[in-house]
Amino acid sequence: MATVEYHKVGKSFGPVEVLHNLSLDIERGSFVVLLGASGCGKTTLLRMTAGLETISAGEIKIDGKVVNNVHPRDRDIAMVFQNYALYPTMKVRDNIGFSLEVAKKSKAEINQRVEEAAKVLNLSELLDRKPSELSGGQRQRVAMGRAMVRDAKVFLFDEPLSNLDAKLRAHMRVEIRQLHDRLKATTVYVTHDQIEAMTMADKIVLMKDGNIVQEGSPDDLYDRPNCRYVAEFIGTPQINFLSGEIISDGGQAQFRADGTDLPLVEGYAAHAGRKVTCGVRPNDVRVDPDGHIKGRLQIAEKTGADIQFHLDIDGSEFVAVAPRATFAPVGEEIAFSMSAEKMHIFDEASGERIEV
Amino acid sequence: MKLGVLSADRPLVWMLPLIAMLVAFTIIPLFYNIWLSFHEYAPFKRRLEFVGWENWRLLFSDVRMWEALWTTMFYFGVVLTVELVLGMAIALLLDAEEFGFGVLRTVLTMTLVVPPAIVGMMFLLIEDPEFGVLTFVLDSLGILDKSTPILATGSTALWGVMLADIWQWTPFMVLIFLAGLRSLPPEPYEAAMLDGASPVMTFRRITLPLMSKVIAVAVLIRGIDVFRMFDYVFVMTSGGPGTSTYTLSLYSWQQTFSFIKWGYGATLSLFTLVIILVIANLFIWLAKVRW
Repeated sequence: MATVEYHKVGKSFGPVEVLHNLSLDIERGSFVVLLGASGCGKTTLLRMTAGLETISAGEIKIDGKVVNNVHPRDRDIAMVFQNYALYPTMKVRDNIGFSLEVAKKSKAEINQRVEEAAKVLNLSELLDRKPSELSGGQRQRVAMGRAMVRDAKVFLFDEPLSNLDAKLRAHMRVEIRQLHDRLKATTVYVTHDQIEAMTMADKIVLMKDGNIVQEGSPDDLYDRPNCRYVAEFIGTPQINFLSGEIISDGGQAQFRADGTDLPLVEGYAAHAGRKVTCGVRPNDVRVDPDGHIKGRLQIAEKTGADIQFHLDIDGSEFVAVAPRATFAPVGEEIAFSMSAEKMHIFDEASGERIEV
Repeated sequence: MKLGVLSADRPLVWMLPLIAMLVAFTIIPLFYNIWLSFHEYAPFKRRLEFVGWENWRLLFSDVRMWEALWTTMFYFGVVLTVELVLGMAIALLLDAEEFGFGVLRTVLTMTLVVPPAIVGMMFLLIEDPEFGVLTFVLDSLGILDKSTPILATGSTALWGVMLADIWQWTPFMVLIFLAGLRSLPPEPYEAAMLDGASPVMTFRRITLPLMSKVIAVAVLIRGIDVFRMFDYVFVMTSGGPGTSTYTLSLYSWQQTFSFIKWGYGATLSLFTLVIILVIANLFIWLAKVRW
C-alpha cells in the first residue's frame, strides 16, 4: 500500500502534448478511477505511473519517493493490461506465479499462493492450460490473478473489462471492488465507462484532452458536476440541457426558457440576466399534469424497471424517466416538472457551473 | 471466356510444368540413384553390373565412411551451435533503433550473396601460413605457431573450415532471428518488467519460448545445409591433411568422380539423405512447440 502523487506531470510524444501540467494525489489504500473519453491521456498517465512511458515534465511520487527514473522492475507495481498481456508460452499456473518465481519464492509458497488466487478467481480447473486455450473472460481473470498474488505497492488496471460481455463485466466489477476491499491496496483504474467508475471508485478523476476536469467522489460528480462536460459524461440516460437565462422576478430567481419560467433555488438572483444552460437528469424529472414544461412524445422506451419518454421540446430532445405504469400515446403532449434543487445551472458561454 | 483445359477447375494442368520439373530433376534422379546403389561400374567391361546389397555392405564396413560421418557430425554440431548462439546474440543486440543499426542490418546480408566457394578462397588466403592475416594475428598472440599452418594441421584444419562457414552463415541466422524478434508482441515484456523480471530471466522465460518456432526453422534450414557441406572443404583442404576434413559429401564425390565408383557414390549420397531425413524429422518432432 502506498500513496501516489502526481506533481505538474506532462507528457509529449514528439510535438504532441498529451498531458498538461497535471497534479493529483492518491491516498493510501483508495480506489481511484481515471475516467475519460478515448484519447484523453488516462492510459498514458497510468503507463507513466508504471514506468512504461517516460515522464516529460513534472514528477510522480510513490510513497513519497520520486520514481521518474526508477525502472518499472523496481517500482513494485502490479498491472492488469487491457489486452491482458499474458505470457503466451506459459501455463496459467506459471503466468500467475511468474512474479513470485522472479522474487525467488519457494515452490511450495508459489503453489499455495497461486492456488489461493485461482480459487478466488474460479480458475482452479484451468491452471494447467495455456492462455490460447482460454476464453476472454478467463484470460482476464488470469491477468487479475497475476496482480493478486503480488504484494505490490500500487495496483494499476487499464480498462480490464472492456473486452468482456455485459454480464461478465457487471460480475467482474463486483469482484474487483471486493478484491480491493479485502487487499486494501492502492488502486488506479482506467476506464471510459462511467458506470464502472460510478460503481467502483472511491474517487473519480474525470479527464479531458490531457487535463483533469473534475475529481471527487462518484456522488460529487453526479450531484455537483462542475461543468457541462462532466454533467454530460456522468449518468445514464444522459442529462438534458435547456438553454435560457436567469431572470429575477421580485427577488425570486427564475430560469426562463422559451417563455416558460422555472423557479431556481435562492442565490441565483444575483446572476440575473446571465445566459445559462440548465441541466436536468432524466431521473429527476417528474411527469406531472400541472408541470410547467411541455413536450411532445416522440418515443417511449421500456427498459423493464421504468419507461423513458423521449420528448420534443421546440426541436430539442428531452428525456424523462417515469414509472413503468405510466402510459402516453406517441404524439401526445406531456407536461412535467422538476425541483429547483435538481437543476444544474451552467454558464452558457464557458460551460462552467454557476455556484450559489 | 472459355479456357478449355486451362480453366481454373483443372488445377493439375496449371501445376504440370512444376510437376514435370520435379519429376525430371528430383524424382527420376532419386529413383535412378536408388537403382544405381544396387549396381557398380565395371571399368574394364565398361558397363554397370548388378551387385545386390554389396554396396550397402561395403558402406557399413567402410572405415573412411565412418570417419567422414564423424567429421560431418562434429562439423554439424559445432557450426550449428556457434551460428545459433552467435546469431541470437547479435540479433538481440541489433533489435533496437539505435543510430546506424539499419545500415548494419543491411550490411549483414552481404555475406550471403558471396558464393561459398569464393568465401572458401577468401579464408584460404586469410589462413595462409605465409601471409594470411589470421595466421599473423594468432602467431603474434602466441596461440598458433607459423610452423603449424591452420589448414595443413590435422587438429586445426576442420576448425579453419568452420570459420568460413560461421562467417558466411551467422548473418543468415541473425536476419531470421531479427525478423522473429521484431514480430514478438510487446505486451508480455511490459508485464514481465512489472513482474520484476531481469533481462536474463525475460529472455529465458519469454523470448526463447516465443522464438522456439523461429529457432527451429532456422536450425532446420541451416542444419540440412551444414550436413551436406561440400564447397568449403573442397576449396580449402580437399579433405586433407590426410583424411581429416573429409565430410560425407566430399567423400561420396571422391568415390563417384575420382574413383569412378558410380554405385558406391550413389549409396553414400543416399545414406547422407537418410541421415538428414532422420535428423530433420527427429528435430521437427522434438521442436514441436505448442502455444
